[in-house]
Amino acid sequence: MKENARIVNTLKERQPYIARKQSMEEGIIPLSCDNNSLAGAMSQRACVYSGARVVLNPVTDAVHLVHGPLGCATYTWDIRGAKSSGVETNRNSFTTDMKEIDVVFGGEKKLTMAIDELVELYRPPVVFVYSTCIVGIIGDDLKSVCKTASEKHKIPVIPVQSEGFKGNKSDGYKAACDALKQLIDPGANERRNKVESSTKEEKAEKKPKINILGDFNVAGDVWLVKPLFEKMGIEVIVSMTGDSTAESISRAAEADLNLVQCSGSMTYLAKWMKEEYSIPFIKASFFGIDDISLALRSTAEYFGCEKMEKKAEKILEEETRRIMPEISRIRQRVKGKKAAIYMGGAAKALTLIKGFAELGMEVVIIGTQTGKKEDYEQISYSVRDGTVIVDDANPLELAELLIKQGADLMVAGVKERFIAYKLGVAFCDFNHDRVVEFEGFDGFVNFAREVDASINSPVWKAVRQRTLEPAGEKPAYAEKHLPQILKRSEQLETMKTTEQGMSRKPEMLRKTSLQAAQDSGVESPV
Amino acid sequence: MTRRNYATVNPCVMCQPMGSALAFKGIENTIVLYHGSQGCSTYMRLHLAHHFREPVDIGSSALSERGAVYGGRENLKKGLRNVINRYSPKVIGVATTCLAETIGDDVPAIIREFKEEEGIGDDPEKDIIIVPVSTPSYGESHVNGYIKAVNAVVRKFTEKPEDEDKTEGMEEKSPGMKEAPEMKKATNGKINLIPVESLSPADVRELKEILAEMVGDYIFLPDISETFDAPLKEDLPKIASGGTSLSDIADMPNSRASLSLGVVSKNLAVEYLEACHGVPGHNVPIPIGLSNTDRFFTELVHSLGCPIPEKYQKERGRLLDSMVDVHKYLYGVKAAVYGDPDTVFSLVTFMLELGMEPVLVATGSKSRDFEERIRLLFGEIRPELVPTVLDDIDFDTLNDMVKKCKPEILIGNSNGRYIAKAEDIPLVRVGLPIHDRVGAQRILTVGYRGAMELLDRLTNTMLEARDTFTAPLQAHHAKKTASEPGKEQISEGIL
Ligand code: SF4
Ligand code: SF4
Repeated sequence: MKENARIVNTLKERQPYIARKQSMEEGIIPLSCDNNSLAGAMSQRACVYSGARVVLNPVTDAVHLVHGPLGCATYTWDIRGAKSSGVETNRNSFTTDMKEIDVVFGGEKKLTMAIDELVELYRPPVVFVYSTCIVGIIGDDLKSVCKTASEKHKIPVIPVQSEGFKGNKSDGYKAACDALKQLIDPGANERRNKVESSTKEEKAEKKPKINILGDFNVAGDVWLVKPLFEKMGIEVIVSMTGDSTAESISRAAEADLNLVQCSGSMTYLAKWMKEEYSIPFIKASFFGIDDISLALRSTAEYFGCEKMEKKAEKILEEETRRIMPEISRIRQRVKGKKAAIYMGGAAKALTLIKGFAELGMEVVIIGTQTGKKEDYEQISYSVRDGTVIVDDANPLELAELLIKQGADLMVAGVKERFIAYKLGVAFCDFNHDRVVEFEGFDGFVNFAREVDASINSPVWKAVRQRTLEPAGEKPAYAEKHLPQILKRSEQLETMKTTEQGMSRKPEMLRKTSLQAAQDSGVESPV
Repeated sequence: MTRRNYATVNPCVMCQPMGSALAFKGIENTIVLYHGSQGCSTYMRLHLAHHFREPVDIGSSALSERGAVYGGRENLKKGLRNVINRYSPKVIGVATTCLAETIGDDVPAIIREFKEEEGIGDDPEKDIIIVPVSTPSYGESHVNGYIKAVNAVVRKFTEKPEDEDKTEGMEEKSPGMKEAPEMKKATNGKINLIPVESLSPADVRELKEILAEMVGDYIFLPDISETFDAPLKEDLPKIASGGTSLSDIADMPNSRASLSLGVVSKNLAVEYLEACHGVPGHNVPIPIGLSNTDRFFTELVHSLGCPIPEKYQKERGRLLDSMVDVHKYLYGVKAAVYGDPDTVFSLVTFMLELGMEPVLVATGSKSRDFEERIRLLFGEIRPELVPTVLDDIDFDTLNDMVKKCKPEILIGNSNGRYIAKAEDIPLVRVGLPIHDRVGAQRILTVGYRGAMELLDRLTNTMLEARDTFTAPLQAHHAKKTASEPGKEQISEGIL
């Protein structure tokens, strides 16, 4: 087993979290992951509460009440970009705004009153009450407050135990799933079982039903995915939690099958539903032609119905034919480019590897905030040798990696965006901030267009020359050095990490897109 | 109207550590570390990155369950060590989050211990200076966090050891009670300029330019003009370049005067410099609008005895000219303004000068003096108007009041967009956060130029909203007037 060679300059304790994929003969590199973030290391992660909040927030008609001081709620107001087809109660930010007096004497009373007020005003079918750090310290009994409120208002008031310091984002996912469990009506399962045990004819009549777990309807993603299944004759009961309601979630146990997309957050719930209601689950992704095809095919296969399989093939054929011209056009423009992926969860990172392959691009950096051991194993099988894999990265590591790995484009969230931009690296937001769908067939076209727009914008050409040196005196930097900078190995050598920060000298600047396209001998992996 | 006493719906303030970051980020080579759990720092970084469109690094001591139970001493030390190791800062601003405050960590003591262990002294020339500031959010808002952090920095760099007990506990109280120290002779001829609220990088740049031309030598603290609006350069420094230099901060006690920008909130740093170092402090409103900018210049002229440069006379003339040009468009336009107390105060002054009617004036911060100050202002300029003035509000309350007061235009940060949309009122974006539009870092409101820009934005927004050019707007207008008698005054005739 080889030791992790120092790939970037970082804290000693961070070194085990960064590894380079090597060829099989060289052995597998151990990558540490799934630990608490290191103090002072500037993790890009948020907290348990954030994990719980991002998963539950798309439940549109719920009151999401944050029990804690006001800031935790201020920064998470309408943060998710999840679309609703109905009410939008979830786009408000509710908090008990705890004050010193509540910290000293306990916040239970204030919480009770706040629930009363909000139920009165918004008449929600469910209230989620999130606990934040200080609630965990002062020891408010969230459970009993919620129980009393539930009885009083005759709606579920569900405590979400998400004290920020009690773990990391993954623990928040689990807390969210625990909350969702309480919304699922066991009666729904009984209805399903009744049909199951009924006569053949009744069975044949029955429309297969599925749930989609781990799609949050960011920018309306779900609306591009659901119709695909509907065309196959399948009813999608609920997408958890994108565009869901308390009512639709309560019917989840009627399903015959769960499709799990965001596995990091939803596998726990899927497993529970399997045990509790014997609803099996399969992993799926609705991003990229490959993965969508896989999702539709394996769903049809699961139901074992020939008609449905045929239908699936027909949809895939038609849709692929429809979008292929555009995808091919863009592929010509971006192939050979190098991508960096830094996502919250591993499922998205994995599906992005395939997506980039479809565009003829190659992944050179891949990292997640919350990946688990199995995830990283799978990732390391999916990427090429030389790709750097990183867990819980911080800004300095990311910046250095972007330069050393010669990335042309980064896919991540807002905090990473400006690191990439400052380094002259194109960027695509695959987080809460995007305004167009990336899932489904049209979503993939949107994605491809965005990648193209960012990589091939003339702006990068302009910013290659960062200081104006009027002609006549010296030739402009970039022009002068361009011919000799093309080899990436050279870039590696010229990369300088000074005490003060990253330096991207002109000689390290990459080729223009045009040149890259011309001399890219790399054939795409698809 | 809704009555709520316990739940806050859509908060209109940010929390205290956020204010401290806005201040610390304006100091040369400074890194901010929050003592608490990881989430707070990530959220605030996200919030700031969104607004300024810059990378924002803020460390966290990343308290876990163990830390929360047994105290965060080890985590904080480790955090400091790692931040020093990776960023080599000159200053570390350590702000506490609610968690650290609740578990009751004695941050100054931990820092003392840390410095001893690491052999860090107090010499800014060679040592890393660590500035703790206590910022529990269940106490106060970002506005106070900002003032406190600025004050803490000034003290750290200027406190003489013998001062220490003299000023003990002065942080909260006004130093007015102290026996006035003998006024010293100024030695460096500079002027200190310290705003009480975070201004935009463009604002800071404008003020610095004015000072450079008028005074030549000045100390502006904190200076975020570059740190939060950095040019694209060949390198990406670990800590954004720019910010007030440490030697300048240390030199503040030798200045001839301090100018505090802001009159609603107390400027602790300016008060401290006066009480303990004999630097006379003057308070002027944030120079937004004609009269506030006039006051700013007048103050500079008085303290410095220098004339107003021709350039600014011309700018002022141009502002007057534009005020005349647009006076009819803005006359009688009912407005709602919200934001940080002093910014709102100055915005309202300008609106009154323009003949607008700020019917709703609000701040999310809790402020004892806000209402009184605003009422006095109305009393001076438009005594016949009786606005609704509120502090400590959330956006839901603001929404209710908007329904009641029926403004035609909203002025404030981008979180007002929900109200703007629901009530179909245009929103002019000023303040922080502005997440849904670009250019927040370049919004200029101060000085004569800032006034002109603001004036243009206000006017154009009204013109757009009333759009007299296209026919459908008449329908739109009819809809408005129908639901609202007394609105006829803004009929097409004016334009
Ligand atoms: S815990 Fe306090 S410091 Fe942290 S985000 Fe919440 S309000 Fe702000
Ligand atoms: S206080 Fe805790 S729950 Fe709130 S944002 Fe900070 S880490 Fe998260």
